[in-house]
Amino acid sequence: MIRATALNKSFGGVRAVRDISIDVPENSIFALIGPNGAGKSTLLNLLSGIYQPESGTLEFAGRNLIGMPAHRRVRLGLARTFQKIRLFKQLTLLENVLAGFHIHQDAPFWECLLRGNSGRFRDEARELLAFVGLGDRAGERAGALPYGKQRMLEIARALATRPRLFMLDEPAAGLNAAEVDFLLKRLEQIQQRGVTLVVVEHNMDLVMNVAHRVFVMDHGDPLFEGTPREVQSNPRVIEAYLGGEFAA
Amino acid sequence: MTRRHAAIAVAILAIAAAPWILATPYWRGILVLCAMNVLLALSLNLVMGYTGQLNLGQSAFFAIGAYVSTVLIKSHGWNFWLAGLVAVIAAGVLGLALAAFAARLRGHYLAIASLGFAVITYQVLLNWEDVTQGVRGIYGILPPVSGTTALFYLVAGVAAAVYLLLDNLVRSPVGDTLRAIREDEVSAASLGINRAAWKAFAFGLGAAIAGLAGIFYPGLVGTLVPDAFGIVESFTMMAMVIVGGMGTMIGPVIGAIVLTFLPEVLRGFGELRLMIYGLALTLVVLFMPGGIAQAWTAVRARARR
Amino acid sequence: MPDLLALVVQQSVNGVYLGCLYVMVALGLTLIYGVLNQINFAHADFVTVGAFAAFFVATRFATRMLGLPDTGGYLLSLVAALGAGAVLGVLVNAAVFAPLRRRGSDELRPLIATIGVSVLLENGQLALFGPIPYQFDSPLARETIRLGPIFFSAQSVLVVAVAVAAIAALYGFMRFTFLGKALRAVAQDRETAGLMGINPNLVIALTIVIASALAGVAGALLGPVVVLTPFTGASLIVKAFAIVIIGGFGNMEGTIIAGLAVGIIEAFTVQYLGSGLIDLVVFAMLLTMLVVRPTGLIAERKEENV
Repeated sequence: MIRATALNKSFGGVRAVRDISIDVPENSIFALIGPNGAGKSTLLNLLSGIYQPESGTLEFAGRNLIGMPAHRRVRLGLARTFQKIRLFKQLTLLENVLAGFHIHQDAPFWECLLRGNSGRFRDEARELLAFVGLGDRAGERAGALPYGKQRMLEIARALATRPRLFMLDEPAAGLNAAEVDFLLKRLEQIQQRGVTLVVVEHNMDLVMNVAHRVFVMDHGDPLFEGTPREVQSNPRVIEAYLGGEFAA
Repeated sequence: MTRRHAAIAVAILAIAAAPWILATPYWRGILVLCAMNVLLALSLNLVMGYTGQLNLGQSAFFAIGAYVSTVLIKSHGWNFWLAGLVAVIAAGVLGLALAAFAARLRGHYLAIASLGFAVITYQVLLNWEDVTQGVRGIYGILPPVSGTTALFYLVAGVAAAVYLLLDNLVRSPVGDTLRAIREDEVSAASLGINRAAWKAFAFGLGAAIAGLAGIFYPGLVGTLVPDAFGIVESFTMMAMVIVGGMGTMIGPVIGAIVLTFLPEVLRGFGELRLMIYGLALTLVVLFMPGGIAQAWTAVRARARR
Repeated sequence: MPDLLALVVQQSVNGVYLGCLYVMVALGLTLIYGVLNQINFAHADFVTVGAFAAFFVATRFATRMLGLPDTGGYLLSLVAALGAGAVLGVLVNAAVFAPLRRRGSDELRPLIATIGVSVLLENGQLALFGPIPYQFDSPLARETIRLGPIFFSAQSVLVVAVAVAAIAALYGFMRFTFLGKALRAVAQDRETAGLMGINPNLVIALTIVIASALAGVAGALLGPVVVLTPFTGASLIVKAFAIVIIGGFGNMEGTIIAGLAVGIIEAFTVQYLGSGLIDLVVFAMLLTMLVVRPTGLIAERKEENV
């Protein structure tokens, strides 16, 4: 689905991502894990187009992504969420999701100007809100939502772009156990609808339960790739995580 | 929808009655100025309130509208409407030029770039004497319609039409897109929004509307000098938008009306008028961040409870 | 010395002198930006207030009431202008920056609020002092010093001396005093500075007061050499912003270099292109800089943290 070879990216002389190659199989759930500072978020930013790599190749469904700005990648079917939640805080939940339909809006400009066409996605936006458990709060201001709900709203907003590849940056961070359960179910449902998922995550329960393949990074380097079971028993991974989540 | 229709009916009645309530030539002139200020506040609000781009250079587009139309009429004998159309387009194109900076700059940097843009425009008007007459100014400019009342109806009609079109626009998917850019540009891009293109759209349209206000200005005062378009004009527009309520449709209209009439009611001279603008700007930012529009909504909500 | 060389040297001298005036105005802006990430739009109006304070102290109070000689009166007026600037700094911090910071405001609200302060100060002074320019006679401005074919006024020597002293004092303060170090710590990272036991509110207040005092002194230096009206500072503000941007917002060395460069370029623009084009040249520079290198002359690129 998305294939990268030998990606490199550094900031002020420090390599954040070094010679990373990944190949995410279509309609799978692909987890990116590693200790803090491993370069997972940077890799996600390279895939989504917020950064451009210094070297390497990047393809999505056979199309070259190098040099393509983030907003154009969305039209190919890439969507993402952010580690540090970035909602439109002053807007309502419904407005947040409606903005997500941007690339599918087809109301002609004169109609927007003359007749006040409000677009044809309101129902679909409400369905998405219901899907993430926020169906009854459509009119509330996004910034006023509790943290866990904000994460779910960000997922609904990204889904509005109708992605083929959906990248989530630590979706479970700051969620309580019940919320993690709910998230887990939703991620599986999204995958069952034919969407490929790339998930950066610290929550090992989540990774081991839903991921088909796991890619481990450490200090910007690739460390290991395999099934969750293989990752759990790999001595190098355990060493990298010693004292981290794995030891517990 | 009936409430909207009722509001439109009230607005039409108010516009129709205004020159007969304030029935002296002086006050009718103030009314024209007020309608022009409404247009300017609406234009800046589109860029600042809905798209979130702090633009301190809006006076430049007001100036371009005024000068391009006047020079075409006075020096080349063009008809007012054709000259006005070209002037509005010219202002819009210049707005796109500023948007080229906005595509790369944000926050403070954009504010200062736009300020520099306004200063350059002002300096060009001052120094390009062959065309603009520089400080000597252009005199004896006639309004497109005869009589201040007719001019008021014309400008107020244009302002009302622009209001309705923008009101439609901000409630359409275009409005969703602009607000998304205002709230968080990185997120907006992650949803497929081409920030540079949509900022160019907002700047271009905002500049064209300011240019539209500009084409009526010379006919109202009869003369045209660069000093009418100093950067302080940008600040007075900003005061109207902020005092009324940035990012709402009705706010800037209220702001323009209040700040046009308040100094008149207080029988002000030049410095008093501007002192009020400055004080209002600071006080509203400090104590009433949502402006009059939001304060009114809050008061009504409390009354209902 | 050949004429052309003499002309070039003369204009360079004029340029350095002008540049030092600009540096005095722009340093405060950049200092505040470095620590707060905020712009005080009224900064240049503090310059005007400083100039008027100096004017009244020098020409009314010091000479007539204290009976000081002209030069002594003028030097005293520099101190008065410094005090006037500092008071304005205290006020603008207490009224605008501190309350907005407590509310966790964005970067634009303080800018807009200080634009209001600027409009208020300009037109308040207009109401008080009127639009007719004041003749601020400084004894030093009348005294011309001649070095071969090069001429300059004693005032310009004072300007350069004060600017150099102010820069040296500022650097000394930043490097060698605890408060100065605290100020740099806050500029780098407000949260960490808080953890180190530094009260950021105090440091920010101090920064604004120092910056505003500098603006006041700049006004006293400018008063005798420009047309003194309520808009003297306002005519400078956009140029000061240009300098701060060209130098890289918040970067002191960059601001000093850019201030001198703009002064020199301006002196040569007057000589060869005419004084009407000064603003055009400076702003063309500003806009070019914003496009080519928005981080300024001396600065590393920072990638956005997502």
